[in-house]
Amino acid sequence: MNCHEAMALLPTLSDGELDALQSAAVEKHILGCAPCSAQRDALAALRLRIRSEAPYYTAPETLQARIRATIARTPATGIPVRPPRERWRWLSAGAFAGSAATVVAWFLGSAVLDWRVSSDLDTEAVADHTRATLSQRLTDVSSSDRHTVKPWLSSRLDYSPPVQDFAADGLPLVGGRLDYLGGQPIATLVYRYREHTIDVFVRPLAGSASTPAPTLTTQRGFNVAHAKGAGMEWWGVSDVSADVLSALVARLAHGE
Amino acid sequence: MSAASPAGASRFEQLVLPQLDAAYNLARWLTRNASDAEDVVQDACERALKYVGGFHGDEPKAWFLTIVRHAGYDWIKRNRPAELIPDGAEALEGAADIVQPTPEQSAVTQESGAALAEAIAALPLGYREVLILRELEDMSYRDIARVVDIPIGTVMSRLARARALLQRSPLLVAIRERSGGA
Repeated sequence: MNCHEAMALLPTLSDGELDALQSAAVEKHILGCAPCSAQRDALAALRLRIRSEAPYYTAPETLQARIRATIARTPATGIPVRPPRERWRWLSAGAFAGSAATVVAWFLGSAVLDWRVSSDLDTEAVADHTRATLSQRLTDVSSSDRHTVKPWLSSRLDYSPPVQDFAADGLPLVGGRLDYLGGQPIATLVYRYREHTIDVFVRPLAGSASTPAPTLTTQRGFNVAHAKGAGMEWWGVSDVSADVLSALVARLAHGE
Repeated sequence: MSAASPAGASRFEQLVLPQLDAAYNLARWLTRNASDAEDVVQDACERALKYVGGFHGDEPKAWFLTIVRHAGYDWIKRNRPAELIPDGAEALEGAADIVQPTPEQSAVTQESGAALAEAIAALPLGYREVLILRELEDMSYRDIARVVDIPIGTVMSRLARARALLQRSPLLVAIRERSGGA
């Protein structure tokens, strides 16, 4: 994110109307940018001044009395409900029900579509994983140093995936690879657990819904753990046990 | 729609009376005058009393403030038509500089709270109302868009403009300089 983009989003951020993903991106930019940081502080100072110094005019007693008198004057005999208006109400209720049904159908349709797309991607991820293990081309860049793997990947993609090493927990990073998933180039992080190879595919999260708890499926004997979090979408694929895979993907998606 | 029923009156008490302060505050900032604000709220209450039976939404505050704003605009149309600028960003843009008071005009203003109130009151109507709804009523972009009847993008651009005008308002700059940049 550059200054121009960050500056444009600063007011929305300070109004609390920016989604989590964009908020994180702006906050990250502000940390390393003095002008944006100053503008953020200036907005906060202005808000504080307005809220503490600008008068909030409360309704005077006299006005309250006037309004209550108006209510009291309201005729005791209400006007009966007129049938034509009633008919319109039914008509609009029908129209509303119709459009509600359309909306529900649309949501259902897109949910089914999402589900199908995601299961297609699971299958593709497993195919990528088996291709790599069969061809012995496990990594394009072999390094246990995340400061080597991350720049290698980000120089070949239009995003920079978070790269972490969990060697201390018996899950060393062994390198990175480029794959294709859903027709797009994708970063693959390769981890080793005992004799098992674990591929973690990672790409930027489209939309803001974050679900860092992994969903597990099994495809042709491989476990697939899918999660959304830390601004990314993650697929872990391996023949390792489901709980090890799930724990790894959860840690990545939580940005730990 | 001529008169309200007693049922309407009790619904009115439930839905509208709790919003009376918010209504008066908005009307006060729209008209910039205490007794005119009372008239506007009175007018808005009479309208709300008529329409309350047809209200089935879940945001009584936004609903009632929409009515207050309409009543406020009708009052301005009758009494200060010059303040009403035809819709459109350019028209508002042009007006923004006309109403900015000079430091000399505001030299009478002594304390900073009054200066801030004066600077907000000097904002063009279209900017002033979104700022008041956002900062003093703490309303969401969505509710402001509903009350003012503009797209959310316009709420955002008007807020940004209102804040920028305040930040470089001579009234506030003068205070800042006088207090030695503290």
